[in-house]
Amino acid sequence: MEIKVKLDVLSGNEELAAANRAKFDDVKLKVINIMGSPGAGKTTVLEKTIDLLKDRLKLGVIEGDIYTTKDADRIEQHGIPVTQINTGGACHLDAAMVAKALPELNLEELDLLIIENVGNLVCPVEFNLGEHLKIAVLSVIEGDDKPLKYPLIFRQSSAVILNKVDLLPFCEVSLENMKLDILSINPGIPIFEVSARTGEGLKDWADWLVTQR
Amino acid sequence: MHEMSLMQGIFTIIEQTLARHQVDKVTKVRLQVGALTNAVPDSLQMCFAAFARGTKVEGAQLEIDLVPLLIECTACGQIRELEEPIFLCPNCNSPGVKILSGRELKVESLEVE
Repeated sequence: MEIKVKLDVLSGNEELAAANRAKFDDVKLKVINIMGSPGAGKTTVLEKTIDLLKDRLKLGVIEGDIYTTKDADRIEQHGIPVTQINTGGACHLDAAMVAKALPELNLEELDLLIIENVGNLVCPVEFNLGEHLKIAVLSVIEGDDKPLKYPLIFRQSSAVILNKVDLLPFCEVSLENMKLDILSINPGIPIFEVSARTGEGLKDWADWLVTQR
Repeated sequence: MHEMSLMQGIFTIIEQTLARHQVDKVTKVRLQVGALTNAVPDSLQMCFAAFARGTKVEGAQLEIDLVPLLIECTACGQIRELEEPIFLCPNCNSPGVKILSGRELKVESLEVE
């Protein structure tokens, strides 16, 4: 006998993500989900973004990490509320983990909540968290073949940060090809060329983020 | 390797479905997986076997129907399959394309005894 089912595998996560979104919208809180490979520079971009925005917006951070609190410890130095999610092995955050972390933060007092996902170019993008924007961070030294090899993250994101452009003279990477491929996956997507180390390009990104409110 | 999380979702759906039917054994689970997902069929098969162990699903076949990435061009109106994730219309090169299929991750049906 055949039983028709026709149910989305991710429907459970989608329901929880919608509940998170309703909580955010209730208090007019903007939420972004930062995704990218381990070592792409997500945390450093985040630290510099905090420094550029903390006088303009009330910020909060949720740090996703498999085991450690290293990133949350770094964010705490910047004097803004941060809470840690340890996934205990899982390669991505999901909506349930975020829902569990939310009571740690006073959402009503925040303007912008930044969720840093687990370092991974593949898995996080399948799991909506209730965020308003997904942001992809890719460091140019990862190679200009990466956008076409991992298209979904670039397709689902609302902006791409190309980090470590200060290292371009030392690697055989075509920034132009990288950008062309990203734009062919997601035509019109804003691309910010930055160096989180030197600060180059970060002001444009931070200003754009403020206009997304 | 988020296929374990996906399989958790699949087994939740299977358990909820079985709770509503008198079933001794599941012999086949049919899954739709779109071309524009990050789910790897081989990994899904491995995770399926791990989750099925000791349940009514043990020994069942996991049949994965791959759903092609289909787009409709909002400029020229053509419906085409994209072999690569280049979201430009293969006919007129317009970037205004709408995804019709390819994002599916769906439990389609169960074969049961």
